[in-house]
Amino acid sequence: MKKTRKIVALVIALVMVFALGVTILTACDNSNTLIWVSESDGVADLTLQQIERFNETWEGEFKIKAKIQGVSEADSATQVLTDVESAPDIYCFAQDQTARLQEAAALSAPGSTAQTKIEAENDASAVTAVKVGGKVVCYPLTSDNGYFMFYDKRVITDSVDKTDLAALVAACEAAKKNFCMETSTSAWYVASFFFGAGCVSTWTTDTSGKFVSVNDTFNSDLGVIAMRGMQQLVKSSCHVSSSDADQFSSGAAIVVTGTWGIDAAVKAIGAENVGYAELPSYTVDGKAYHMGSFSGNKLMGVKPQTDTAKAQAMHALAQYLTSKECQLERFEKFGWGPSNLEAQADDAVKNDPALTALAAQNVHAIPQGQIHGSWWDVAKVLGQNAYDADKDDVTALQEGLKKYADKLDDMLKMTPEEMRAWTVIGSIGGTSWDTDLEMIEGPDNVWTSKDAFDIDDSTAFKIRQGKGWDCQVGANNALNDGGSGDIKLEQFEGLAAGKYYIKVTFTVNDAGNITAANVELVAA
Amino acid sequence: MKQISTLDYLKMNGWNKFLYNLKCFFCAIPHHLLNLVKKIGNFFKRLGLGIWANLKDLWLTFKNGKWQTKLSFLIMGFGSIWYGQPLRGVLFLLFEIVFVLYMGMAGAHWLSKFDNLGDAAGHKVETEWGEGWVNGDDSFKILMYGLLTIIFIIALVYTWRLQIKQCRINEEIMANGKKVKSGKDDLKSLLDDQYHKTLLALPLTGIAVFTVFPIIFMILVAFTNYDASHDGHGVLFTWQGFKNFGEIINFSNGESVVSMAFGEILVWTLIWAFFATFTNYFLGMFVAMMINKKGIQFKKGFRTILVMTIAIPQFISLLYISNMFSETGFISKLLQDLGIISENLHLFDDKANPHLTRAWIIIVNIWIGIPYLMLIATGILMNIPADLYESAKIDGASGIQQFGKITLPYMLFVTGPYLLTSFTGNLNNFNVIYLLTGGTPTNAELSGASGSVGYTDILITWLFKITQGTDSKYYLASVVGIMIFIVVSVLSLIVYNVMPSNRNEGDFS
Repeated sequence: MKKTRKIVALVIALVMVFALGVTILTACDNSNTLIWVSESDGVADLTLQQIERFNETWEGEFKIKAKIQGVSEADSATQVLTDVESAPDIYCFAQDQTARLQEAAALSAPGSTAQTKIEAENDASAVTAVKVGGKVVCYPLTSDNGYFMFYDKRVITDSVDKTDLAALVAACEAAKKNFCMETSTSAWYVASFFFGAGCVSTWTTDTSGKFVSVNDTFNSDLGVIAMRGMQQLVKSSCHVSSSDADQFSSGAAIVVTGTWGIDAAVKAIGAENVGYAELPSYTVDGKAYHMGSFSGNKLMGVKPQTDTAKAQAMHALAQYLTSKECQLERFEKFGWGPSNLEAQADDAVKNDPALTALAAQNVHAIPQGQIHGSWWDVAKVLGQNAYDADKDDVTALQEGLKKYADKLDDMLKMTPEEMRAWTVIGSIGGTSWDTDLEMIEGPDNVWTSKDAFDIDDSTAFKIRQGKGWDCQVGANNALNDGGSGDIKLEQFEGLAAGKYYIKVTFTVNDAGNITAANVELVAA
Repeated sequence: MKQISTLDYLKMNGWNKFLYNLKCFFCAIPHHLLNLVKKIGNFFKRLGLGIWANLKDLWLTFKNGKWQTKLSFLIMGFGSIWYGQPLRGVLFLLFEIVFVLYMGMAGAHWLSKFDNLGDAAGHKVETEWGEGWVNGDDSFKILMYGLLTIIFIIALVYTWRLQIKQCRINEEIMANGKKVKSGKDDLKSLLDDQYHKTLLALPLTGIAVFTVFPIIFMILVAFTNYDASHDGHGVLFTWQGFKNFGEIINFSNGESVVSMAFGEILVWTLIWAFFATFTNYFLGMFVAMMINKKGIQFKKGFRTILVMTIAIPQFISLLYISNMFSETGFISKLLQDLGIISENLHLFDDKANPHLTRAWIIIVNIWIGIPYLMLIATGILMNIPADLYESAKIDGASGIQQFGKITLPYMLFVTGPYLLTSFTGNLNNFNVIYLLTGGTPTNAELSGASGSVGYTDILITWLFKITQGTDSKYYLASVVGIMIFIVVSVLSLIVYNVMPSNRNEGDFS
């Protein structure tokens, strides 16, 4: 090869290496904390100022050099969950993700004094939002994530009855303008019809954030009434499924959305033309049902740290950033409705028209507790069912509700392995009748506990199948007897307190049914 | 299947000829499949023979070699240093030292946990200020570093084999009295006849680290249960074997919704790829032929306009079209004003007719794909000698006959491979589907499967949706990815072997 060509080739290769080096270098900086806040204009700057004040107040104890990145609260939980280890130390998220974050061990619960403070100082919906399994796990930031009705004052004039859904739909049809309510991409808005009729859908989680059961009454007569009310809207020619306040510039007269849409609405038709009101009522068979809604909150979460000093600093900072002072600052600058009770009592907050409408609607709102991630996809199908079925075709609507209920059952269904697995449950191994401890199946119908436990006179347990009490082994090898006592150390002759594996041998007859059980403690 | 003579073939009428060709095609398929199986068998046979030859060579080297060679089996590079190649020897030795250090410090740890991907995850601890964290096993890291360790071990075995071979070669050279290549010779050749190795070293490393390694990692993920609730950090994940594949091709005891979703989406993907490829192909050809005809003015103008549309990125044009046809978009308003439809246009929200949406996607894809095909076709058509057409016209062939006997076979021969790559490309055409409709309208029947499945979803957009959200199932996405690969590669292999392009090359030169 000619010498020049060789040199040129080498130079190009070196440039490539140089570019790589530059990108690596730019990733280095000297901050010690990473914080994610909303990406809206000005939020990051305000947060930096608040951190400065925090450093001044705690001079000598904490010095926080924060790097702030703007990440939308709707996405931040998903991004944190992708890689919890490299997640930011403090992040703001929308409260529908709290259970998931708790399950992924991405939330560090505040200490007990802080927990009491949070419960005392914030409104009821915020307190519900920060709790998982009855325990406070994060800090509340705002209480304005609910939705209500935005309308164009020029189309929906004072002569239109804003409390009646049918009247509003008629007004929109007459003016050939759209009524925007999102019914197809998520169940968040669909639920308002059901809550209005009186249906509930409450999910229960355990302390680790795993969903264990649901109390759902959508599949009922009240649910059919809700579907018929929904049909009055979705089958109308003026209905558009969207919650984007931008719709005002493409011919919408009403948009059901929340405070995040205020800017877009004002930009589209001007502040003097935007009206805010609570949601209307729909009438079915002569009876009026006020549409409900979800009340939502934005929350601030702290990542669990290995370093205790840093953990202390992070919790102190989170407590400060969610205090009444900072919440009022955010209300003044961005219009965010505070969750702090004292802040809400402030005059400026009470006179804000959007927040007033939201407050009026929140009377009918259900606090959005923890809800299973897949519920949103399953329930949104109800909106489509309402559209597909003929008007007031009760049979078709009931079918849709039945399919929804079946899907809910599937979501919580245990796998076949889980249903036939035997587990140890009791006050043993640090748990107190709330956790099923795993057992491993061996040959010849022998099940042995996976871990060895410290067993002494205070330990009491039972062995059960499928996490239910239908098949269980109690004291003295009592089989399937709900009234039997707990298995205790004294029932085993000659065994002293110590570390044991729990082993149970089942006798199985020819038909495959268990006829007897024999529990033993095997020294570890 | 009896082969009939050429004369008898020409005597048959059109319908019989078609039936005969069809029969030939189907009878040939088992023959092709058998060939494929034989080729795969040959590949494994050669692989086995190669390994056996290597092992034999190793044994002979050990038995017949001098004590220096025997020592090289333990201390890598010893033989090279002794035989006068200090540079290579030192490099080998360094490699072995680094390997031993790495295995001692970290490698053994990762490898020991690799079989079940971790025993105890990290957990939270209560402190006065809130919950702290105690580190434990992280399945993700174990999988990644364990894989790296395994690759490192393979590299070591390869290098070890290499230096044994070099010892043997050096022995033979010295036995013949010739001189062994010194370190200076090596360096000079790296800058001269082996310069390609020097320059390619860095890019190859880059590809290996940033492309090949992640692919192997993702394939391994398909055999675990890594999803949003088993993220490896708070909750460990572990090996599942082939259970995930069983879930997706579930033919027994009650169809699971995931396998139903897979089946339906696969059918639509194949239909979409077929229509997207062939409509573009034939219509592009027609447009090229029309522009090419004598008597059309402004040939260059038409071609320029069509080519300009290729310059606009697909992202922009597709998003814009999607906006135009949305419920409150420009087309919807226009049609309402003209009185053609009475309410908003429903194309890709949940009130839409899914078949209409599917047809619409294919039509928009035609609009996007025709200019490119037209370019290709124009170039190829210009290559067909014009006297073929003239002699055909003199013999009394109609336009359609000319097209079918001259143009089409020539085009198919030249663009055969292109058609194949275009077909497989459309099987994975993420842009068009996702940007136009995002997979909507939603399919209510399949709402239990991950990633809200829609009527216009193809496998790759479904894969993308599975990984989104907070209930993402990464293992399912990986399994779907592997299935896509299997579908595409099987189709490609069959079609490529059946195509005339790689057989009748002589006819067309």
